[in-house]
Amino acid sequence: MARVSFESEIVDFVRAARADRAPFEIVAAGTRRGAGKPMFDQKTGGELPVLDVFGVAGIVDYQPEELIITARPGTPLAELKAVLAQKNQCLGFDPVDWIVLGGAHGTLGGAVSTDASGSGRLRHGAARDSLLGFRAVNGLGETFRGGAKVVKNVTGFDLPKLVCGTFGTLMVLSEVTFRVYPKPLARATLMLRDLPPKAGFAVLRTIWKSALEPSGLAYVPGSANFPGLDGIGQGAALIRFEAAEKPLSEKLAAARLLVGEAEEIEQGEAVFTRIGEGTLFRDCDLEVWRVTIPPAEAARIAAALNAPLWLGDWAGGLLWIGAQPEEAPRIRALALEAGGHAMLLRAPAARRAALGLYAPQAPALAALSSAVRAAFDPLGLFNPGRL
Amino acid sequence: MHFAPPDPDILSRRDAIIAALKIIVPDGVVEATTDLSAYESDALASYRQRPLVAVLPRSGDQVAQIIRYAADAGVPIVPRGAGTSLSGGALPRADGILVGMGRMSRILEIDYDNRCVTLEPGVTNAAITRAVEAEGFYYAPDPSSQIACTIGGNIAENSGGLHCLKYGLTTNNLLGVKFVLPDGQMISLGGKAPGAGGLDLLGLITGSEGLLGMVVEATVRIIRKAPVTRTMLASFDTVPDAGACVAAIIGDGIVPAAMEFMDRATIGAVEAYNAPGYPADAEAILIIDADGVEADVADAIARIKIHVQACNGQLREATDTLARARMWAGRKAAFSAMGRLAPDMICMDGTIPRHALPRVLESIAALSARYGLGCCNVFHAGDGNLHPLIIFDAMKEGELATAEAFGADILRLCVEVGGVLTGEHGVGIEKRDLMPTMFSEAELDQQHRIKCAFDSGGLFNPGKVFPTLSACVEQGHVHVHGAKLPHPHLPRF
Repeated sequence: MARVSFESEIVDFVRAARADRAPFEIVAAGTRRGAGKPMFDQKTGGELPVLDVFGVAGIVDYQPEELIITARPGTPLAELKAVLAQKNQCLGFDPVDWIVLGGAHGTLGGAVSTDASGSGRLRHGAARDSLLGFRAVNGLGETFRGGAKVVKNVTGFDLPKLVCGTFGTLMVLSEVTFRVYPKPLARATLMLRDLPPKAGFAVLRTIWKSALEPSGLAYVPGSANFPGLDGIGQGAALIRFEAAEKPLSEKLAAARLLVGEAEEIEQGEAVFTRIGEGTLFRDCDLEVWRVTIPPAEAARIAAALNAPLWLGDWAGGLLWIGAQPEEAPRIRALALEAGGHAMLLRAPAARRAALGLYAPQAPALAALSSAVRAAFDPLGLFNPGRL
Repeated sequence: MHFAPPDPDILSRRDAIIAALKIIVPDGVVEATTDLSAYESDALASYRQRPLVAVLPRSGDQVAQIIRYAADAGVPIVPRGAGTSLSGGALPRADGILVGMGRMSRILEIDYDNRCVTLEPGVTNAAITRAVEAEGFYYAPDPSSQIACTIGGNIAENSGGLHCLKYGLTTNNLLGVKFVLPDGQMISLGGKAPGAGGLDLLGLITGSEGLLGMVVEATVRIIRKAPVTRTMLASFDTVPDAGACVAAIIGDGIVPAAMEFMDRATIGAVEAYNAPGYPADAEAILIIDADGVEADVADAIARIKIHVQACNGQLREATDTLARARMWAGRKAAFSAMGRLAPDMICMDGTIPRHALPRVLESIAALSARYGLGCCNVFHAGDGNLHPLIIFDAMKEGELATAEAFGADILRLCVEVGGVLTGEHGVGIEKRDLMPTMFSEAELDQQHRIKCAFDSGGLFNPGKVFPTLSACVEQGHVHVHGAKLPHPHLPRF
């Protein structure tokens, strides 16, 4: 294991690994190591060497009036969020720790590399929608930049899009620059009780299709016994808004006109945090999936899966599914047929090795993805086989 | 600007190439010299070149067949939407096939329940909104050429517009595409579900300026129109005051739907043109749109008012739709108004950190004096995207070259203060040779390796974006056709 704190040390490490043709695993806080295909050393069959980048940390530059923050990837998420909150700002993709994997206290780099977006993704998009630029080291041991430190840029290929959600398979990040968003001081959550999935998701889509700019739209079935949500009958539709105080009341009133009587609940923030972090699935022994689908398909697919433990987020665009191992092929097939993706987030190592993080891609797309990966890392040094 | 000479071998095969394309698209091959003139330039009109031949496919399958043929025959491809590129992205090649997408203009599906529209790439930007506005929706990116420009071109250039600070660029509003790779294979990227499920190649091809393949179908997000939009005009006696006001508004957590800056020269030009009633003595004005629910807009306006006053400015609010339209009329006519001052102009497109605005405008004024050419500045103030308009007369000996040198100096300045060469117009041929001012050799090589991963033969829109085209052989996977290296005539490292 090599611990590094500076970009120049990453360069040295990558160059040495390149000379030895020795692939390695990139780790910061290590809270998301349990996701993706298990990796091993092809030569020895043993564990891969580890490059520990937790020390490549700290906020480099924060300019609230420019809506921009630059930080090193080892910066703890909690620290970054606290700094932004002091200026009433936040990251657009609402990054979360995946408590479902047992890991709290993750880093910014980990959240970017896995695109760990929480419920707030609904409003400002995924990590790729607000990552403006980065510095990194490629598989040749060269430092390079992608994007820039301004909010609008089309100069050259849009590399920041490519970095997000690649589980460290393209490059070792050394710095990231995000566009940030204002974080309104007031927020509120409305709940409609006793709705079966079809009616519940229909309520969410009504708000999603309105001009009210919700910051969270989730559905929790009664069967989930979700902590903090009692007496919800068949299920609860949860609607969150963030705004200044007066506009917030107007939005709540407008939402009620659209979906009928809805009660405002106190515990909304805590509930949405737990939804994003997958806390509901932490203590069960089911395999845990994140299935992304067209929102209007949510009720149909949830019914078809009939999973023992599940919930829906992003207006139905994301289903968290806890399922028995034998359900895996059906989950993958349903996601594919709906035009979505089924990510296997948590399962025993042998199962992750067999199933992969995502289903195999069509041959032309798989070949292209490999070629693009090789354009960054020709020897396949970074997190080999994880994605 | 240096252009490689056309490949004489391809020129000599013209008849065979035309015959092959006629088999694929019997009613859509343009070959007569006079007809081809229609395609000889895009909106960067200083550069003209008739294509070898133009072909106008009607389907994705035809596009795939054309591309497969071109790959086999080793003929370059230049994609074209409506030809509104300001950076020369659709400039043809004498030895290349121009593929015009204007006939693929059907809207295939409107899916309100998933808030998206699936369409062919030749649909115009404005037509998307027209198709869904009766239901209260619209398509957010609004480049100023939106009545003419196509969604295919918008994807190639990652187009923005007045409202992108709040609603994002094309890339943030594009959900999926069907895409033909340079070898003729068709792939699907993205769709109606969120997330990429692997590498985000959709994000990569957006804004790739026709270098990686061609979009034959797209799915875009639509947004519900805000119930209330109001417009304000703030005027200032000094540019730094206006700059400080922009920073204060953004820093206060207000994200206006639009915030446009105009300098004194622009104000004068548009007043002479269509008299929108801007304050004649102001050094700078801001036109600001706030949208949302009623209380959102009222809250934003109240806070903006405070910031404008604190920055020694004066705020005027449009009282009705007519007054709103009049406030915007000047900004929207800025190009046409400049057009009256001189026969030719070029519109630059750098982005800068907003705090650098006063310094950059001062430097541009100094450059304007040094080059002896007029320059007016409009600025998407919310996101730092600067559009200096340089006015000149191309008929005067050497003036085009002077204007280009002036423009290049402005863009170098943008990079020097921490900004970029282009915020929304693209690199194309216009800024191609400036790429090394922003990127190191290793960075350009990194981007070039990505190009090679898609297009090892180097046949897609060659000569655009990257200053020197090296063969992909250095990257270890050269495409050799007929035992010849591709493009023997092209300069190599």
